[in-house]
Amino acid sequence: MKQAGFSSKYLPYLLLVPTFAVLIIFLFYPAFETFRLTFYKVHPYSGAEKFAGLYNLKKIFTNPDYLSSFWTSAIFAIAVIGFGLLTSLLLALLLNQNIKGAKIYRSLLIWPYALSPAIAGALFNFLFNPANGIIGYFTGIRTWMTNGSTALFVVIIAAVWKNLGYNIIFYLTALRNIPKDALEAAELDGAGPVRRFFSITFAFLSPMTFFLLVMNTTYAYFSAFGLIDVLTEGGPAESTNVLIYQLYKDFFVNSRIGYAAAESFILFMIVVLITVMQFQTTEKKVYYQ
Amino acid sequence: MKRFLIVLLVLMLGSSFIFGAGQQEVSLVDEDANVTIDFWHAMSGTRIELIQSIVDDFMAQNPNITVNVQYTGSYNDTLNKAVSAHKAGNAPHVFHSYEIGTLGMINSGMISPVDQLADRYDIEIPWDDFFVPVQSYYKYQGRHYSMPFNSSTPLIFYNKTLFEKAGLDPENPPKTYEGIREAAIALKASGIDTPVTWNLHSWYFEQMCCLQDAPFVNNDNGRGKELPTAVLFNGAAGNKALDWWIGMYDDGLFMDVGPGWSNHRAAFGAGEVAMVMSSSSDVNLLTKSLAEKGWEMGTGFIPRPEGATGGVAIGGGSLWMTNNHPAEEELAALKLVEFISSDEPQMAWHKGTGYFPVRKTAMDKLEKEGWFIENPNYLTAFEQLLVSPETLNTAGSLLGVFPETRAIIQSEIQECYAGKDVSKALDDAAAQVNDLITEWNELIDL
Repeated sequence: MKQAGFSSKYLPYLLLVPTFAVLIIFLFYPAFETFRLTFYKVHPYSGAEKFAGLYNLKKIFTNPDYLSSFWTSAIFAIAVIGFGLLTSLLLALLLNQNIKGAKIYRSLLIWPYALSPAIAGALFNFLFNPANGIIGYFTGIRTWMTNGSTALFVVIIAAVWKNLGYNIIFYLTALRNIPKDALEAAELDGAGPVRRFFSITFAFLSPMTFFLLVMNTTYAYFSAFGLIDVLTEGGPAESTNVLIYQLYKDFFVNSRIGYAAAESFILFMIVVLITVMQFQTTEKKVYYQ
Repeated sequence: MKRFLIVLLVLMLGSSFIFGAGQQEVSLVDEDANVTIDFWHAMSGTRIELIQSIVDDFMAQNPNITVNVQYTGSYNDTLNKAVSAHKAGNAPHVFHSYEIGTLGMINSGMISPVDQLADRYDIEIPWDDFFVPVQSYYKYQGRHYSMPFNSSTPLIFYNKTLFEKAGLDPENPPKTYEGIREAAIALKASGIDTPVTWNLHSWYFEQMCCLQDAPFVNNDNGRGKELPTAVLFNGAAGNKALDWWIGMYDDGLFMDVGPGWSNHRAAFGAGEVAMVMSSSSDVNLLTKSLAEKGWEMGTGFIPRPEGATGGVAIGGGSLWMTNNHPAEEELAALKLVEFISSDEPQMAWHKGTGYFPVRKTAMDKLEKEGWFIENPNYLTAFEQLLVSPETLNTAGSLLGVFPETRAIIQSEIQECYAGKDVSKALDDAAAQVNDLITEWNELIDL
């Protein structure tokens, strides 16, 4: 096939300029600045700088609160990804059936994704807050958000719920694309519904699951801020203080720009590492059509 | 330094005579020039309109000045935005910040002290008319740095109807730790499961130390010649206050409603609790929410241990003026902050919120109107302040890392709820904060 070419050698580069301008100004430059500030002490107001070597990294890694937020983040991420993917796959399978009003259910299930994290947080606050939460009223337990372990649980549920719509849309699309003949052939060969699900449906879903795994990892590590800020402010006693929240506090509340830079550098490295690991291990098991 | 400046001024004046160059020291400002200034504040909800209407009055009196008023989020958000805007060279002329940001702002290099500008533009600000605790909070080493605007103290709010039901005297709220405890036990017996609450906020703890006349930080409570280098809140006073607080929680008398300002208000409004501690700026709000249920609300001084001789320090916020603006705009901004602190705006602000007026004349006018006879709860905060002795402690403690200190104290209090020993929690908090102070004192010199 003949490839359509550009009349001038420079035109393609010219067309790329707007994209790169935006990327450089809003992504690469700030990212580079953050990386650079990791090695500086910074005045909280004027922004005056002084080179400090590994000072910031040393400081944050000797802070027990920061170290414990590593664990909190890991537990939070694993729970949000595992629980989130499982629930949304189940719901997508249910939605994929020929049932009356499927369209209505679909819209309703996708709805939470359209809410901003702050609104989602406010909704869960109505349910669980210790003063007049609805769940507290019906269960007689007021301490959902003031007890460390249940608070983490509430935040996880909220984060899963918030992202459910996103996962369902992608799973539903993938389910629609599974060739019917493969399923029919298996049925004729005498495979039961369970066998059919694991050997055929799940295999066809694997690229999508892999994609969602990567997306949900970034979601769990980067996007939980709004929910946590509205629901618990990282408390009680740091029990919901995930890395991104600690980063927010160090930059916006404590004005410690050097720490915040070091923390965002670390957070970035963690997510890169996890994603690379996922590509290395999981992708080999993924079957692309 | 001052003497040196005077000598310098005299020399310069002298030299201008000699050379006859006639260049004047005080730049002439065109007072009637049309200017537009920005004013960022941190008051949400119905207070946005209240501030707008105050500023509208100001613009009506000064037709050449246009003020862009913007609500820019919480105190902390507003402060961050102002700091970033200043770095970018477009800081708002006036912004609103919380009291605990004071030492940071003084050392920030981005503000001009209000009294300095007042001298430069020859605007008279009647500092003596400001209540002493108000002016002394925002005065640092003899200099008035920011313009007091919204001042408050914590108060005890109690539900008179529920008090009566529990056999307590609704006109005589408890004033001591023991008194609150006994009232709570009586209320619990009358069927209220956890009768007392307040939101998780270090401000109450700070005031409880202050009421025992104990400094919060060293170097004259942060007001000395040197910056503070260590905190003192883990002393006897801090321990006594937190022991009492956690003891009430352990005995099921106190409901933990977490941080933020909405949960304890909601619990109080719903009758889930009969006594809360909150800011005096909540008088208006809480009176209304209890009236909806047909209940009557009372207010009282925040409790102290038997025999403690301290007083309260003010909380709230003040208006800061940023530097590096053209003279015409600086003058307009100065007029604006002076106007906001004057009688009419302060009276409207007081009635709409519960923050008390910062000036004596405004207070006198309110008294003459008979406002306090009809609304005695609006007077409580003020009386509490007037009976407070004038000391370095009641002037309020200054600390550069105050916002972070509060977060640390609050986190440790939550650990106490979960069973941690009070004195260990306070020592741990103090150790963390002391590290931060050392670091901050170094950073601020960069």
